[in-house]
Order: sequence, then structure tokens, then C-alpha cells
Amino acid sequence: MAVDPITMTLVQKRLDHISRYMGWAMTRTAQSPIFSESHDFSCFLSNVRGDALSVADGLPIHTGGGDFAVRAVLRDYGDDLHDGDVFLLSDPYVAGGNHLPDWTVIRPIIVDDRFLGFASNRAHQSDIGGGAAGTYNAAATEIFHEGIRLPVLRLFERGRVREDLWRLLLLNSRTSDLLDGDLAAMVGSTRTGRDKVAALAREYGLSETEGVFSAILDHAQTLMKEMIRTIPAGVYYGEDVSDTDCFRSVDVPVRVALTVKNEHLHFDFSGSAPQILGFKNSSLANTSSAVFLAVMSFFNGRVPQNQGAMRQMTIVAPPGTVVNALPPAPMTMNTVHPTSEIVHAVWRALATAMPLEGYAGWGKTCYCISSGRRDDGRTYVMYHWNGSSGAGAVRGRDGFPAAGQLCTLGGMNLPNVETYEQVYPVKIHRSEMRKDSGGAGEFRGGTGLEYSASTYQSAEYSFRSEGSRKPTGYGIAGGEPGLKGTIAMTLLEGGEEIVAPQYGIMRLGPARVDVSSPGGGGFGDPLRRDPVAVQRDVVDEIVSPEVARDVYGVVLSCNSNTVDLSATEARREELLRARCVTP
Amino acid sequence: MREFLSACTHFVHGTTVATNTLLEGKGARTGMLVTRGFRDTIEIRRGFRENVWDYRTPWPDVLVPRWLRRPVTERVLKDGCIEAEVDEADLDDAIARFNAAGVQAVAVCFINSYLNDANEELCVRYLREAMPDCFVCGSAKLAAVMGEYERSSTAVVNAYIGPRVVPYLRQLDERLSELGMPNRLLLVQSNGGAAFIDDIEQRPVSLLLSGPAAGVGALDYFSGKEGLGGLLTMEIGGTSCDVMLYDRGKVGETTRLDIAGYPAITASVEINTVGTGGGTIAYVDAGGMLQVGPQGAGSRPGPACYGLGGTMATVTDAHVVLGRLRPGAYADGSVNIRSELAQEVVAKHVAQPLGLTVEAAAIGIIRLAEQNMLHAMERMSSERGVNPQTLTLVACGGAGALHAVAVARLLGCRSVFVPRLAGVFCAFGMCNSNIRYDLIQSCMVELSDDTLARISEQVAKREDEQRGRLLESFSSEAIISDCFLELRYRGQQWTVRVPFFVGTDSKETLRRRFEQEFSSIYGYVQERNELQIVAFHLVGKGRFPEMALEAAEACAESLQASSTRSVWIDSRVGFVDAPAFSPTKLHPGSRITGPAVIEELTTTILLGAADVLLVDEGGDYSIQLTISE
Repeated sequence: MAVDPITMTLVQKRLDHISRYMGWAMTRTAQSPIFSESHDFSCFLSNVRGDALSVADGLPIHTGGGDFAVRAVLRDYGDDLHDGDVFLLSDPYVAGGNHLPDWTVIRPIIVDDRFLGFASNRAHQSDIGGGAAGTYNAAATEIFHEGIRLPVLRLFERGRVREDLWRLLLLNSRTSDLLDGDLAAMVGSTRTGRDKVAALAREYGLSETEGVFSAILDHAQTLMKEMIRTIPAGVYYGEDVSDTDCFRSVDVPVRVALTVKNEHLHFDFSGSAPQILGFKNSSLANTSSAVFLAVMSFFNGRVPQNQGAMRQMTIVAPPGTVVNALPPAPMTMNTVHPTSEIVHAVWRALATAMPLEGYAGWGKTCYCISSGRRDDGRTYVMYHWNGSSGAGAVRGRDGFPAAGQLCTLGGMNLPNVETYEQVYPVKIHRSEMRKDSGGAGEFRGGTGLEYSASTYQSAEYSFRSEGSRKPTGYGIAGGEPGLKGTIAMTLLEGGEEIVAPQYGIMRLGPARVDVSSPGGGGFGDPLRRDPVAVQRDVVDEIVSPEVARDVYGVVLSCNSNTVDLSATEARREELLRARCVTP
Repeated sequence: MREFLSACTHFVHGTTVATNTLLEGKGARTGMLVTRGFRDTIEIRRGFRENVWDYRTPWPDVLVPRWLRRPVTERVLKDGCIEAEVDEADLDDAIARFNAAGVQAVAVCFINSYLNDANEELCVRYLREAMPDCFVCGSAKLAAVMGEYERSSTAVVNAYIGPRVVPYLRQLDERLSELGMPNRLLLVQSNGGAAFIDDIEQRPVSLLLSGPAAGVGALDYFSGKEGLGGLLTMEIGGTSCDVMLYDRGKVGETTRLDIAGYPAITASVEINTVGTGGGTIAYVDAGGMLQVGPQGAGSRPGPACYGLGGTMATVTDAHVVLGRLRPGAYADGSVNIRSELAQEVVAKHVAQPLGLTVEAAAIGIIRLAEQNMLHAMERMSSERGVNPQTLTLVACGGAGALHAVAVARLLGCRSVFVPRLAGVFCAFGMCNSNIRYDLIQSCMVELSDDTLARISEQVAKREDEQRGRLLESFSSEAIISDCFLELRYRGQQWTVRVPFFVGTDSKETLRRRFEQEFSSIYGYVQERNELQIVAFHLVGKGRFPEMALEAAEACAESLQASSTRSVWIDSRVGFVDAPAFSPTKLHPGSRITGPAVIEELTTTILLGAADVLLVDEGGDYSIQLTISE
């Protein structure tokens, strides 16, 4: 039956509104600041097959992975779904989860005995037991070290909560009081979603609604084909390498072969590293989500984020590799790493296909997390986000000077220094743009930051220095990579310098951390950068006159106030000639 | 003119000059003084992207380039103590650079200045002395609140627009006095209250929402007059639909604005805007789906039916196709609507690509536009925890009343109110503004009877200052002072604002009030957690005598429609031959049962089937909806 095009657009926008509405309900009712302040959750609606219809309110790295979880519910309980049932799951190996801290609450939408789909909420819990408070156990070598594993559980049966199960869940968290409220908020938001979809379905008719859901997915698929058609057919390769398995220095490559053919994208990750000892292994759900993030951001948000878009993509991720690990490999870190490597590899493959549209790489993390007790005895965990890394450039704009992790695409606020000083026993000395660190290019990479902070008490430091051994923000289309980062610890008493490990934990007395965070990659040949933009960077003291002259080929007047155009032209020619003779 | 102005008591100005200076990037060359080590706060922007999927779009330009953000050696610690005094050599160096660069405005933004602004104010005085023609402001004087990014941005926006906005207002004020205006110029601030120019000239940032906030005075007036209770307003103009909530006698307020990507902390009405107005463009995307907005046709060329060169289909064109707007001259002939032009663009850009009739396409455009408006309203009422079914929808702006009944029906509201002056709602609101001064002061202490006593002293002192300023223009009976505390649970970042009665409140009464409010928003309380006082907020108001609208003359004459035409009413009724009424025929007591079209001077009201419109004694329109269950 043909769907009325007006109905299709009304329903699509309304589903987006409902998934956002679920998010407002969640923010209003959840207890952990992680939801109200960091928005580390996603609400989504699916059809009867588990295909995502709308993920309007999603964290980017959640956006493409929810289908795995809903399909696990269909696999285990597909012939036994009832109005009022609510399912809960987290395990990435058996239940379609992405990593253990993200719990997914899934509620079937059944209206007048007719099954229409699901309303779901995936959210990062404050604590799920395991070897470290706060869900991230950097010492984990098995998933069992990372917290409680949840297969598909029926948490509510026809509207009645299973109290025994609820108590079991609370018992396995260090923050059971928060969990109690947060889980209730998640369940409540799926109820809101269910009620609003039910109202929609009654308004348009149950059979018609199902038809409209299909049309919505078909629409996204059509747009996706349209976008893929702009990419020349062929096979393109991309690679990005981490150099640590959390315990040793070892290359951990993620490799992708992208085949573009018949309006279809095929991603083959064969050749990626075997799974590793530490907790940076990906699940299939997370890997798919990372690929989705890379592609949807490459298409600049012009395709609705639903399963219809995903239909034009297939992914091969061989079991036992870092992008599809086998149990019992730990994987809590996967939404950050190897997500960054997967996104980088896919972006690089796409850039090979469309050099002018390529995205340069983001500098990887190079900071630490400190924890300890405040004067009043309460514990704290502080992420040193004010030392975040620079983002990559793209044709038309320079990279952002600092952004949170790639998996958020900038959707997370970095903290204010003043807030941090009030909340943690710390004084921040500096957080400002770094010099000569953003990858040179026609569009310059983000600079990264110079960051320095003192903690005046003993504390435990957990290091995450992916970006400290070599440049990580790769350049594209002739752009250069951003500078690598450095991280150093200095004891406040005596001034002794301590060498920080790439990953790992140290207990130190009062100490200062100094970070020079990695820069993002540049886009395009630096010799093509607008000389006025180079001059502005020099006056702004984020590019030195030497780099302006030797990398950008821009010669300035002695006070740097103007560009010496003829000298610049000559200098650029000279640099071009030198390139030809250099092997 | 002179005669007219001499007879006026006040000249109230709701101005868009502050907003436009910012939006158009036409502000002054601005410099900044910052704490050494924190030069880039406004360029790092907390790393936040509003629309993450729109990867390629750059951030808006930074208002002060890095080379004009000059570091000063100084530091205030987190307890407000001064660790390092200002190094004057840094100031002299900065001033030399500012002078060489022709800087016209400087914002001073130091870390932790919200706790102690001595260093900041020292620099402000130093700069004013050294650069007497320069506009200088300190961040803590504008907004003494925690969070250096938003506070610095506030000061920078203030400095950036200052040298453009203030001289314009000064000239206007002087010209008005020359022409015989007896009192000084009044300006509507973003919070809907008015202020004299002397109070604005250091803080033009408080004018950013001056235009739209002007409607608040009208809401005060109508809610009091009509006993309407909670109001949800929908102001629809050419490009957008602005939604405000007026509940329990107050308009929803916020202290955080974001204008085109530049945050500013300033007391403001809370407005939820969706890019759907009369000039919003409808088109079909590459996947075959109808889209309405957010792009608009602007005031020039505007909708295609205006015949001013518009070639895209807009919401207004859809109204014309559906007979809701009659063709012909409007507003004394300044607009002339041509039906054939509307038909043509809706056919070409929507009907043909979708394989629909022109009418079906136009209906689709209207339904999608109204759904967008509905969602903006649902968001406002959901976030405020208010049940929309208890509210009256107030329609204003030129196009508000065309959509009000349909949106109210979708929302579940049972009544709609259309002020007779719907199109000049804001202008009337300005005439009912009060003078209002806001002061927000950070405290950051645990809630205890001790701290409460100390804060009460501070509040009393500040309140005296505020009253003193108001007493210059008002008798003491006309002055109202309200105090609020921003409270939060320890460990949380979001605060809840509760009224604070100095002298009578104790720790316990405040806690109860906080928990009531907190639980109505978040649905739970943390019984064991302690409370912190983050800031106090002092609001002083001076009330002008209320201006009443002239009551229209009652008349018992029977109603006669001026014409009848085919109009698409809504999905339930479809097209019907609906009577059109001209306002000159309507009088207090007149009653019309829909479907009908009422063609007011500044707006057109569309009435659904069986809805009842009553003209009240002020000549305003009150509509009761018939809801079919």
C-alpha cells in the first residue's frame, strides 16, 4: 500500500520528537549527574524487526548500535512479548550490548494486541561492580573484571517488576541508591515513549502506522544511496594504529578495506589486529556503531540516523580481532578505543575515495584521571578534561582547538576551570592553545592545549596516553599530522619529575601534572593556506614565524603585521622545488 | 511632534539593535584582559558543538582574536583570596597594544572573579583612566556567577556591542528630550522589565532579547484582566514561532542565553524558538520527503504570493492556496497577496514532486508547520513540568491566530486568547512594563543558619542600594523587592531557584521550599544530601500605573459576515464555505461559532468547527474549543 507522503513526513518528525521527549523525561528524573549534565545516554524507537526508526536524542557512539540489543530481545523472547514487559541487558557477547556499563532498557510497544515495535533507552551507569569504582577498570584482562554481566533479562513482566532481579542488580553496584533511581528513570522514559507511539498509532491506524514506519526507513535508504552515488566506485583502504594494549607497547592496527559499488558501502576489517590483553577490545555492536558514526558524520548529517541508512552498509569484522573480540576479552574502553581507530580508519578510506572531502584525524587522548579523598573524607574522581586534544581540519574550516573524545563528535562540554576548582582539591594553572602543534595545512589542525594543574593531596592517577608516543591526528589531502602529546608529573615537594606510563595507575603525593595535548591533523597542502590566515596565526602566537616560513612558505614583515607577498611567492616556489628533489 | 511628545509620560523602547549588532558581526574592535594561562577560554568554547552531525560547519567567529586577548599576571583562588596582585607592567603592555590596534572596547575576564572582583575592577579603573574613550567592562560586575567561559562570553558580547548600542540610545534619548519628552528614555531588558538608559549603558548585554521580551508586560496585563491562569504564548512572525510560558503569575525565566552561538548570562525571559513562521520555505528533499524550514524567504522577497520576487513555496503561500488568507491588499496596501503566485509555487515545489494536488500539498505544509509548533510547546511544558491542558494558548504575531486553534487542539488546550492588538502585542506590552533591576551574586556556601544570617546582611545592603535607585523615580508603595536563592544539592551542578524571605526564612523553611520545587522538576529528593547556596538573586521593580486598553463600545446589532469563501479549516472538516468577518462589525458581546475567519487589522483568526469566539469588553477575542473525544 502506498503511503501518503504527508503522513510519512509527519510521522517521521513526530518519532524524532518522541525520542527527544524520552530524553527530557530521563534528564528530569535520573539521579546521576552523568545523565543530567553529561547526557551519557540515548533514547531510540524501533520497528518489530528491531530496526532503529529514530535515534534523535543519541550520543553519537550509541547511535548505530541499538539494533543489536533489540534483536537479542527478539531472539530470546520474540514469541513471548507482552504489553507491560520491560527487558534489560548489557552483555556485549551474548546480548547485543556495546560494553558493560551501558545498560539498555527495551520495552515492546503493543497496542490493542498488536505488536508495533520497541521504545528503548541505553545509558551509562555510575557503577556496575567490577575491579574499579566508576566502571573503568584499566587493569582488567577479562570481562569478569569489569562488572556484572547482564544477558537479556525480563525486568518487568506484564507491568510487574521482578523485585528479586531488581535487588540483585542493586546489590552489584557500589552506588545502589543512584542505580535505583536511574534505572527507574530509564524504565519511565521507555513508558513515555511507548505511550506516545501508541497514541500516534491509534491516530493513524495500526496497519497504516506499520506501513509508514517502512516508508521512513526507505526514505533514509534513498537518501543514503543518493549520498553514496557521489563516491566513485572502487576499493579503498584505511588504517589507524594504537601503540599500546594497555600493558605493553605494541602496535594494534585497525585496518579496513572499503568497497564502494552499486550504491553500497562494504567495510571489511580483515587484517586488523588480534584482540588484545587490555580493555580496548570492541564488540560487534560498538564496531558497527563506530562505522555508522564515521559515515554519518562524513555525510554531514544529511541522512536521517535510522536503520534505513544502515541497509546500504555491510561490515565484516572477523571474530577474535580487536574489532570483534571473543570472550572473555575485556572491553569497557571500546566506546573510546578502538572507536577512535575505527573512525579514523573509515575516514581515511573515504578520504582516499574523495580526497577533497576527507576529514583529518583528531589528536588522541593524553591525560589522566586523578582520584582520592577530599578534606571531608568523601571520595572523588576527576577527569583532567581541560587537557583535551585538538580536532582535525576539513576543507573549509580549521580543526577545533580542543574537543572531548572523538566518539562524542564534540557533543560533550569540557568543564569550566572555576567549577573544577570548587568541586575538586585542585588548582589549575593553565589551559590554553598550544603553539606549532596543529597539523599544518590549507586548513590547520586544532592546536590541542597546554594544561597544568596541581593536586595538593595524595591521589591516585590513572593514565590514558594514547597520543603521547607518536602523532595521532593524521593529516589529509597533503595536510600534516598534529604534534604528539606529552604528559609529565612533578612532585610538589622536592620537585622530582615522575615518568608517567601510557596506561596504568600510580599513587603520588601532592603533585602537578603538565600536559601538552596532541594536535589535530591538517587538511590540504600548507603552501596553499591563505597567507593572511598564516599571518593571523603568527600574530596569535599559535604558529611561529619559522614554521610560517618553512612549512607554510609565508614570509612576514619584521613586526609580523603584514605578509610580504612577493617574498612569500618566491619562498613557496622554492619549497615546491625542494619537494621535487627530495626522494 | 513636540506637542505629542510633551503630552507623553514615557517613551519605552524595545530594541533589536543589540541583537542585530551581534548577529551581523558589526560590533566594535574589542580587546580582552585575561588571567595569564587562560587566554583562550572564548576560543576553546568548552569544545562543545550544538549539532554534532553537522561536522563541516565552522564555529562562529571569535569576537576577540587571540592577539587582542592579553594575559595579565594575577590570580584569585577558589576561596576568593587574592594569591597574586595585578602586575601593572602587563596592563601597560596591553594598553599599548590596544591603542596601536584601535581597540574601542575591552572586557576584563579573570579566573574566579565571581568570588572577588578586586583585581578585575582595578584593571577596569586603570583602563578607563588610560583609555578614556574606550568602553570597558569587568565580567563579575555583569554576572558574578561561576563558570569562566559563559561569564567571559557575557563580558565580551557586552563590550563588543557597547560602542554601537550605547551612543545610538544616548542620541535617541537626547533627541527625545529636545523634542519635549518629559522623562528619560526607557528600554525593555531581556527579562521584560524596563530600565533607564543610565542603568543600561554599562550593560547593553541585557538588551539582547529586548524585542521579544517586550511581550511580558502584555501577558501581565491579560492574565490579570482575564483571569486566564497559566498562559502559553505562541508568537508567529515571518521566520519563527516563539513560545513563552506564563505560569502562576510569572513568565518562565532563565539567566542563560545563547545568541547565534555566543552565550550570555543575563536575566531573560525563556523563549523556545522553532524556525517555523509565515515565510518559512517548504520543499521536497532528495529522498522524496516534505520538509518545512528551517530556511526562510526573509522579509524580502518574502512569500511568493507577495509578488516581490519570491520563488519558493512558503507557509503563507499554503494559507493562500487553502483560502485562509484572502487575496488582495493588506496593511493599507503595503502587501498585496496574489493567489495565482501561491498556487504556482506550491504546485511546482511541493505538489508535483510528491504527486499530490495543490490543495493536498498545501495541507501537508500547514500540518507539518503546526506539528513543529506543537513540538516546541510540548518541549516547553514538559521541561517546566506543566500540564498543557490546563493552559490558555495566547496567539500573537501576524500569523499566530491562523494556527492557534489547530495547535491548541493538538496540545489539548481548551481555550485560546487572541488580543485585539495581536500584531502589536509587544508594543502594547512595553507600555505595561515595570522598571526592573536584577542583581545576581555568587556565594558558594553550605546552607546553615550562620551562612543564612551572613547572606541576609548582604541582601539587605544590596536591597537598600536597589531601593535607593528606584526611589529616584518611584514612591515607595510602587516599589517591589523580591529575593531568590539559587540552591542545589552538594555534588550537583544544576541549581533550583526558590524565593527567599529575609528575616523570616530559616534553614528548614528553605530546605522544604527547595525540595518541593526540586521534586516537581526532577521527581525525587535526596533527603540525606546537604544543600549549598550558590547565589542570591535580587529583583527590584518600580511599578508604573497600569495602562488600560480603551474598552470597545458594546453593540447589539446582529452579526453579518462580510463575505463567504471556501476555506480549508482542518483535517476533520476539510474545505467548507466559511463566513469571513471584518472586525468593524464585531463588538463586545459578539459571539461567532466556527468555522469562520475573522480578518483583524493586524492578524487573521481561523476558527474551527463548533469553536465559539466571544468578543470581550476590551474587544479581545476569547475562544472556547470544542474538543471531540
